[in-house]
Amino acid sequence: MTTLIKHILAIANKEAKHIKRDIFTLAVALILPMLFVGFFGFVINLDYHHIPLLVRDNDQSSTSRELLTQASAAEYFDVIAVHTPGEAEQQLHENSMRTMLIIPPGFHDEFTKGTMARAQLLIDGTDNTMASLATTYMQGIVQATQHALLEPHIPESPVIRTRYLFNPELNSHWFIVPALNTIIIGFLAILLTALTVAKEWENGSMELLLSTPLRAVEIVVGKLLPYFVLSFFDVLLVFVLALLVFRIPFQGSFALYLMACMFYITGALALGLLISVITRQQQAAIQFGFAVGLLPSFMFSGFIFPIENMPVFFRYLTALFPQRWFLQISRALFLSEAGLVDLWVPFAALFVFMAGMIILAVQNFKMDVEP
Amino acid sequence: MNNTIIQVKNLVIAFGDFKAVNDISFEVSRGEIFGFLGANGAGKTTTIRTLCGILNPTSGQVLVNGTDVAASTAVLKPHIGYMSQKFTLYPDLTIQENMDIAGSLYELSRQQIRKRSRELFEFIGLSSIAKGPVRQLSGGTKQMLALAASIVHDPELIFLDEPTAGTSPQTRKAFWDLIRQLSHQGKTVFVTTHYMDEAEYCHRIVLMERGRILATDTPENLKKKYFPQKPIELTFTQEQQQTIFQELRALNVGEVSVFGSKLRINVTDLDAFQSYCQKHSAVFTASEVEPTLDDVFLKAISGAK
Repeated sequence: MTTLIKHILAIANKEAKHIKRDIFTLAVALILPMLFVGFFGFVINLDYHHIPLLVRDNDQSSTSRELLTQASAAEYFDVIAVHTPGEAEQQLHENSMRTMLIIPPGFHDEFTKGTMARAQLLIDGTDNTMASLATTYMQGIVQATQHALLEPHIPESPVIRTRYLFNPELNSHWFIVPALNTIIIGFLAILLTALTVAKEWENGSMELLLSTPLRAVEIVVGKLLPYFVLSFFDVLLVFVLALLVFRIPFQGSFALYLMACMFYITGALALGLLISVITRQQQAAIQFGFAVGLLPSFMFSGFIFPIENMPVFFRYLTALFPQRWFLQISRALFLSEAGLVDLWVPFAALFVFMAGMIILAVQNFKMDVEP
Repeated sequence: MNNTIIQVKNLVIAFGDFKAVNDISFEVSRGEIFGFLGANGAGKTTTIRTLCGILNPTSGQVLVNGTDVAASTAVLKPHIGYMSQKFTLYPDLTIQENMDIAGSLYELSRQQIRKRSRELFEFIGLSSIAKGPVRQLSGGTKQMLALAASIVHDPELIFLDEPTAGTSPQTRKAFWDLIRQLSHQGKTVFVTTHYMDEAEYCHRIVLMERGRILATDTPENLKKKYFPQKPIELTFTQEQQQTIFQELRALNVGEVSVFGSKLRINVTDLDAFQSYCQKHSAVFTASEVEPTLDDVFLKAISGAK
């Protein structure tokens, strides 16, 4: 037993020294998480505000003015008046404007007579997220206008009042930032370890390791340890950034979150080692690492595409990827007070994945130099 | 204690259909410098890897200290030191870090490693211990360090795979001095090389060619066996080398070859040769020379064909 620990520590110590000397790996491990946070936190913003709205008001009435006031009041749209049909057409052809509202003459009369008042809303359909949001926003604005103008005369019609739980403002930061660790670890951890064994095969030092009394399990666990420390630091870094920069609340148990991180990081690192153990070539290991690390993080984690909306086959397929389970835990712990009772399934899945990857990496570790 | 440390019986190592090592058997005695000679691709590295327990035999048996290597590599490994043909120290780490790692893999304590490192640095004649990464050192120093790292745990059996390949003549000489010292300390050194002159330092050698053993013996015995009649060298007193060369060949007294301004003959028909020499005593003088292992190897190969 003491031999086992001594050997593991010997390998861990060796790897730690390699990491310290390898400026590139260190830089990637420390800078990449910050880039991710910056990119997904600031650049990708699923909320749309201040969408430019071209308005050609051919009615010039109190009703049309009220509609435009409501539109700019909500900060969803920036109203830009167009005065001639030529100007409107030019803007449309130049593709510089994404939405346009055309209010025909007689809008006010139709409205006050109680017949259906008509206006035309043109939306650039190439960006369907923006298009559907703009439509929803405009419906709200029309309702508000109706309210403002007609409220004294007619009784309020029944409405559904929607309240969003856990993320009351539907802030997309709240949705994205808890997922960042999923992506960063799923990607970084796999790449960090994917090279380590392959490198030793390529430069011949594996031959030396194999001629010593080391066993496969000692090499695997020894190599995992220092990268675990590095990845864990990354997780904490992203966590702190999420809380300080994006002001995301953290409602759940921090201990549970750390436990999930430990399972997830170890599983991802062991997967990287498994890739390295099998390929034994750095080039191939990197390609595998990208494919296995990056794609599922985005496609099958639920980060962008909700798992509930996937076809049945893919819904079950996502169960194979730890990204899906960690993301589920992460979102639940950030935004609700979920406990282990609620989250035991994803925790069990992460644990099985971690144990499975370590066992596979050890079993596939080649202890002889046969090509 | 049994005097045999390595026993190889009918060893075959095949990669697919290709037999890199084809039915070889030999024994190595304790304390010997045992040389494994052959051209590139003869099967030297494959054999040494199998003896170290990092390559499995296809068939046959390798016993080290009486235990089967393939069955129990774990028992064997603490007692062997292996220096592979590739440079296997970590180039990004310093000399001391490399020694620390090598020692820690054999569970040596920090004090033991430092003490042993000092001994070994002195042994390989390394006076100043560079603080920079190993990659900045010269080829010769790296090679010496690789040796030091491979014997940090003081193993009784040391495997060196082409330790002097690609190094300068001075390094080769220094390296062989170390090998001899290790042997004096009672270590068994198993060394492969394709430099025939180095094989002169070995107690016993194996000549290998295409996975098979051509001969196993001491360098002395091999020379006697392949050259019962020592090669004869002709030193010319008159400028007639070309004429004599052609006449000797026509006479068919043995294989004649040009050695600079001299001729060398592996005589097969001694009577005919001697009578020829008497006729031309004014032109050249003939004297016996010691055959080199190069000569032995060439003759062994031609005999095998």
